[in-house]
Amino acid sequence: MRLTASSRIIAAAAALCLLSAAVLAQESSQPRRTTNAPPKPSGPTPRTADGRPDLTGVWNALGDNLNGIPNQIANNGLAIESDRSTRDLHSGRQVATFPRNTTRPQNNEQAERAAALLRRVGSNRPVYKPEYWEMVKNFDHNANEEDPSNNCMPAGIPRAGIPSYIGQMPTYLIFIYPGQGGLIATQTMYRMIPTDGRTHTPLQEIDGSYTGEAIGHWEGDTLVVDSWGFNSNTWFDQIGGYFHSENMHVIERFRREGNTLTWTATVHDPDVLLEPWTTTPRVALLNARPNALLPESLPCSERDLSHIVTKEHH
Amino acid sequence: MAIPPVRLKPDTTYPVRLKLDTTCVVTRGALVIAIVAVLAVHSAVAQSTPDRATVLRAAADALGMVRWSDIGAGTTRLPAIDVVNTMEFEGSGTTESAGRAVKTQYHVALGYNPPAMRVEMTRAGPDGGAPQRTIHTVRDTNAWDESEIGAGLAPGKGTATPAAAALRERLLQLWTLPYGVVKAALAAGEKTAVSTEGGATVITFPLSGPLAGITVKAMLDSNNLVTRVETRPDNPALATLATQTEFANYADRAEVLTDIKSPGRMIRKQGGRTLLDIDVKTWETNNPYLVFPVPPNVKTAAN
Repeated sequence: MRLTASSRIIAAAAALCLLSAAVLAQESSQPRRTTNAPPKPSGPTPRTADGRPDLTGVWNALGDNLNGIPNQIANNGLAIESDRSTRDLHSGRQVATFPRNTTRPQNNEQAERAAALLRRVGSNRPVYKPEYWEMVKNFDHNANEEDPSNNCMPAGIPRAGIPSYIGQMPTYLIFIYPGQGGLIATQTMYRMIPTDGRTHTPLQEIDGSYTGEAIGHWEGDTLVVDSWGFNSNTWFDQIGGYFHSENMHVIERFRREGNTLTWTATVHDPDVLLEPWTTTPRVALLNARPNALLPESLPCSERDLSHIVTKEHH
Repeated sequence: MAIPPVRLKPDTTYPVRLKLDTTCVVTRGALVIAIVAVLAVHSAVAQSTPDRATVLRAAADALGMVRWSDIGAGTTRLPAIDVVNTMEFEGSGTTESAGRAVKTQYHVALGYNPPAMRVEMTRAGPDGGAPQRTIHTVRDTNAWDESEIGAGLAPGKGTATPAAAALRERLLQLWTLPYGVVKAALAAGEKTAVSTEGGATVITFPLSGPLAGITVKAMLDSNNLVTRVETRPDNPALATLATQTEFANYADRAEVLTDIKSPGRMIRKQGGRTLLDIDVKTWETNNPYLVFPVPPNVKTAAN
């Protein structure tokens, strides 16, 4: 059968319509969250033979990108609880919330600028000594060039946040942080954290590293990971230019309740901070699929920095 | 006010002298005219009293405050939120000092969560003398003066002097900036009224907290940008808090572009006096790192 030109156009249009419908159907089959409030725990908290909560699992069910990095948008410390209510988790203040403007869609540039604002809008900021205020501001202002993670370096601790995988053994834990692209491009990181009662090596005897020397212990049902011995090559949060010294000391707390894992980190760095700073709690959700795996991390290869001509954040 | 029902006496005769057919025709026509008139009036009223939520959204949108993004959000589709927290701007012009307009370099760091502002003014010295620098800071319910940025936070690092009497005046400067006006009007909820005056949209609302008892009246231009803000205290004893501020020449003035518009000119008056007349050079809107810790001696003085 031969088709006329107009028939071909109609057929092509019909095919496009069907294709669009198929794509829409595929998209709509994925559940879309419209809030980012921390998930409520459900189910029992499994325990190991020694009675500790078992943190073992793949903690990426709230993954917001291909590698399952937990809930990056919540990293700004805001809980968008409904289409009318947003709360700053640190200050408790309400933040005005509006429906999206559906008649004026954003282009990529506008979305990038909005994302940069959204990531910085929360109130929980470390208080540096006044002599460092300008330095922190300038680091963030020039983050495209200054952010260590933009050059594929490890995110470090505590910037890496919640590990995507935890393996819990009787005397140690394994944490895995897949490398990621997108908001920050970093290498895959892993940590082996003893819980055998050992104590820290004296700080002056440690060669600083990205993950430091980590030692775990239990305080009730909370796993406390105490780390020092860092290099000063990382920033300690996702945004902000939050540099630190080699004397940084980080206390992380992990608490499993049902299928949720709540994490906070307190940064002590009297060389540069006026007072210790604690992250806004972040909550990861267990990937409940029995065959849950971590995907392969793609190699991090920085090729964009030389093409960036403005200070807009990416 | 409810209209009381009209009650006719049953035993009263009401003369009707019109022909029935004519009356009927006239009545139908009048009815149509009346309906049209009522609809027209209703429409006009509806147009002249814009909806509060629509007006505030338009004002927030015009400034670029209402934003959302799906970058890095995977399948999450969050609503839009107010993204303005910290800002920093600087400019030059004149400020009033002892009744004179004095050349001034003006540098402001501010935040809304928590509400805080640090105003650094470097005024030309009298008769060509050395410039005079002042740093006036406020956060929540504390106001103080700093001898240097961040003074009083660490031993030997400058002096912080409590300035409780200046609290309201400093907070008022924060909340009468365009972003503060929109935020405070949204927070005031049903107490916020919108109207039109001379074709311009007007937002009127009461402030709260330490600024309770002060009413703000803000005017929007045809692009929904805040162009004039008037404050009126209920208490005549607070007459120094009656101000008029004008904003003009809006643009994205940040080095890190954000699509947030900021004014390029600010003029603040009190009565006939011009307190401040500033041309803004830069206005960083990307929620820069700005903190306002309250020095220990200021906290102590407040308690």
